Amino acid sequence: MTNKLFSPIILLLVLAFLIGPFLIIIAASLSAGETLAFPPQGLSLRWVLKVFEVESFRASFGISMFLAIGGTLAALILGIPASYALSRYKVPGAETIRTIVSSPIIVPGIIVGLALLRYFVVPFNFGILFALFLAHTALILPYAVRVVSASLNNLRSDIEEAAVLLGSSRIGAFFRVVMPNIRGGILAAFILGFVTSFNQVPVSLFLSGPGVRTLPIDMLAYMEITYDPSVAALSALLAFMSLGIVFLAERFLGFSRYV
Amino acid sequence: MSDARFLCLEKLTLSYGKNVAVPEMDLDIGKGELVALLGPSGCGKTTTMRAIAGLMEPSSGKIILDNVDITRTPANKRPVGLVFQSYALFPHLNVYENVAFGLKLMGVRGKELDDKVQEGLRTVGLSKFATRKPAELSGGQQQRVSLARSMVMEPKVLLLDEPLSNLDARLRLEMRTELQRVQKESGVTMIFVTHDQVEALAMADRIIVMLDGHIEQIGTPEDIYNRPVSDFVADFVGFENVFALENGKLKTATGTVELSGTAPLDAKGLAWRPSMVSLGSGPFEGTIRGTSFAGGTREYLLDTPLGPIKAECDASLPAHEFGSVLKFDLPVSQAAPLSRVGSL
Amino acid sequence: MFQNRAEAFALVLPAAIFAAVVFLAPVLILLSEGFRSGDSWTIQAYIDFFSQSLNQTVFLRTLKLAALVTAASAVIGYAAAFAIVNLPPKGKGRITGLVVLPLMISPVARTYAWLVILGRTGFVNKALVAVGLSDEPIRFLFTETAVFIGLLQLFLPLMIISLISALENMPRDAVPAARVLGANWLQVFTKVILPLTKEGLVIGGTLVFTGSMTAYITPAILGGSKVLMLETLLYQRVTVANDFVSASVIALILIVMAFAANLLLKRLATARNKR
Repeated sequence: MTNKLFSPIILLLVLAFLIGPFLIIIAASLSAGETLAFPPQGLSLRWVLKVFEVESFRASFGISMFLAIGGTLAALILGIPASYALSRYKVPGAETIRTIVSSPIIVPGIIVGLALLRYFVVPFNFGILFALFLAHTALILPYAVRVVSASLNNLRSDIEEAAVLLGSSRIGAFFRVVMPNIRGGILAAFILGFVTSFNQVPVSLFLSGPGVRTLPIDMLAYMEITYDPSVAALSALLAFMSLGIVFLAERFLGFSRYV
Repeated sequence: MSDARFLCLEKLTLSYGKNVAVPEMDLDIGKGELVALLGPSGCGKTTTMRAIAGLMEPSSGKIILDNVDITRTPANKRPVGLVFQSYALFPHLNVYENVAFGLKLMGVRGKELDDKVQEGLRTVGLSKFATRKPAELSGGQQQRVSLARSMVMEPKVLLLDEPLSNLDARLRLEMRTELQRVQKESGVTMIFVTHDQVEALAMADRIIVMLDGHIEQIGTPEDIYNRPVSDFVADFVGFENVFALENGKLKTATGTVELSGTAPLDAKGLAWRPSMVSLGSGPFEGTIRGTSFAGGTREYLLDTPLGPIKAECDASLPAHEFGSVLKFDLPVSQAAPLSRVGSL
Repeated sequence: MFQNRAEAFALVLPAAIFAAVVFLAPVLILLSEGFRSGDSWTIQAYIDFFSQSLNQTVFLRTLKLAALVTAASAVIGYAAAFAIVNLPPKGKGRITGLVVLPLMISPVARTYAWLVILGRTGFVNKALVAVGLSDEPIRFLFTETAVFIGLLQLFLPLMIISLISALENMPRDAVPAARVLGANWLQVFTKVILPLTKEGLVIGGTLVFTGSMTAYITPAILGGSKVLMLETLLYQRVTVANDFVSASVIALILIVMAFAANLLLKRLATARNKR
């Protein structure tokens, strides 16, 4: 039956199409040559090492890290109480609030960046980094709320009542009894937020300036000037970083349960 | 203060928004009593229980415990314990830590803490389970942990929400005995909420029957079982043939029917258990529309001019056939007189 | 214990206000710029925008590419999803993981690879010349084809995942039953598989279509200024000509598309849950 051959061939082709390019980047980044090419001319780690030497990459890496970690933390600080309220209380207008908080997912990032530039940065002299921070927090907020809500909905509320009856305050009950049981969800939200923020480009397009660039933007800028394999090397390194984080999360958390 | 007014609810009104669930309830419970709040779902028993625990704020009225007005006291400061229907054990803590939770919050530490927790576990027979997590326990075991967790706090009142309904028949009997034993040994005032009259009758010193937010009747199990006060209570405890009285006659769907005797003067209704219906002779006649064998007895459903009548006979007597016409009597001397009708 | 409305609001408002102020307000103001001329409300900006042939081209091109990518991903997606669903559990998990893997990698990295592959000195050209199919390198980059390929690679996993989910929810015996009744594979597909998995198709299709419509990186890297799409056009109008009105118009178009898609997805999700 032709079916028997059909399946594996299709899968092979599709996987080659999806993952092949990534493998090519890895190979290209290990090139000993001067320009970006595949197959690589000789093997060498020089471009991988070069990545760490480029000053602007180091700076923008720091900025991307700051935005990813800071933005996710801020999103969680805003999002956890909101999720708690939405899942435990009968909030009037809950649907409207959920829509408002989730809206950043729907609007293309480039528009957010532009709007923030035009109405926050320029008129009020907000720092670009601050505006970027606000933008990233807003982008991650929907994910934080969604994932934490899912965890909370799976946790019965009567254990909080039990804790209160045993003498705990409401806030104490939240930290002693709710948090430990939604820890997995929070961690999953953190990782999801981090990866999303780190890989985000459009938002940062307009909100970039001298000395303030996220890593992907920096890479785009570099690409316009030089055509050497260091961008390939950096891409490969970043990809491994993302994959590593997600892999560890899956291993130790069963990440996919929460998302 | 007399021990009989250890816990008092005075004109307690409980509402959900505009919906009044319990209007102006008055209730006294004595120290060391084992009391059941019995009624169908929606009758307000759980709401009342939650108000006593402090999980619900009353719209008006007072709750007084051991001479202290606790109406405005927050739940975490009330000397009240609650065993939840779902047991509400903390999933991330093991049995020992669950039981120790409240004590730790009070600042109990070290040897004193350990002694109290071990004692609590011993009381419910779970000393060997200290390191297990709730997910590793059976339903009955989880309930006992929940009980121990509340008991070590030495509450003045212990509330239990439907304690036996999640258990299978055999466990139910075990748990029932267990709860009674714990209560009698510790002397704690215990109030449990249930919709199952068998449970209430078996366990309680006193039963409070509730309907639509009101107390229908308060009494000992014998009182409730033998002398129901209203048609609702009568029906609830198994009097399947319940009638209102009009001018001394039985009121039916189509009119009134003469009794075979004289009803007590102040009775507004009469109720008979199936076993009280005498089959074979009497002024009434009916057709058998259903029979079932229940081991020691046989049950019959009769179509009669009075409406459907349920009767019960000893199984050793010859069985009556489906469709046969029989005479029967509702002897007034056997009936439970009801002073209130209209709740059914 | 959860009756107190004031508490609930106190918990929820920071997030809501943040989102409203930092995000909704600026975006709405930006959108309003597309409707204003001086002090009055008008749709003149939209008329002007669409009357320029460049804008028309870009708009239609974006729609066209998005549609093509969606169609291609549907066809390939069904084939791949069907193959995956029939794998034994272990293999299924691994292959699905491999399909999802690219989603975790930055779009910059994923698109960048095509530069290497499609460039003048790139892999494909080298192979074509070596094999003799062409005398000199063909220009692949900065063409609609390149953007098409880049977008397809970016979004295909989303379609495959949606279809896998839909196929798994299909009754197991539907296909064998149809075969026993005499249907050939085309008929099995159109009469059995398609109707039963159409929700998954719509979900995947919406994700792919919106993603393609609102893509920036791939059109930027692989299309440049020769193959402008809506977002790259927006960027150009702002940085080159300070033209915020056009930016606002494009923004509204993009948002309306994304919003409509999201609404459709929500409707489908609730319809599914009702069953």
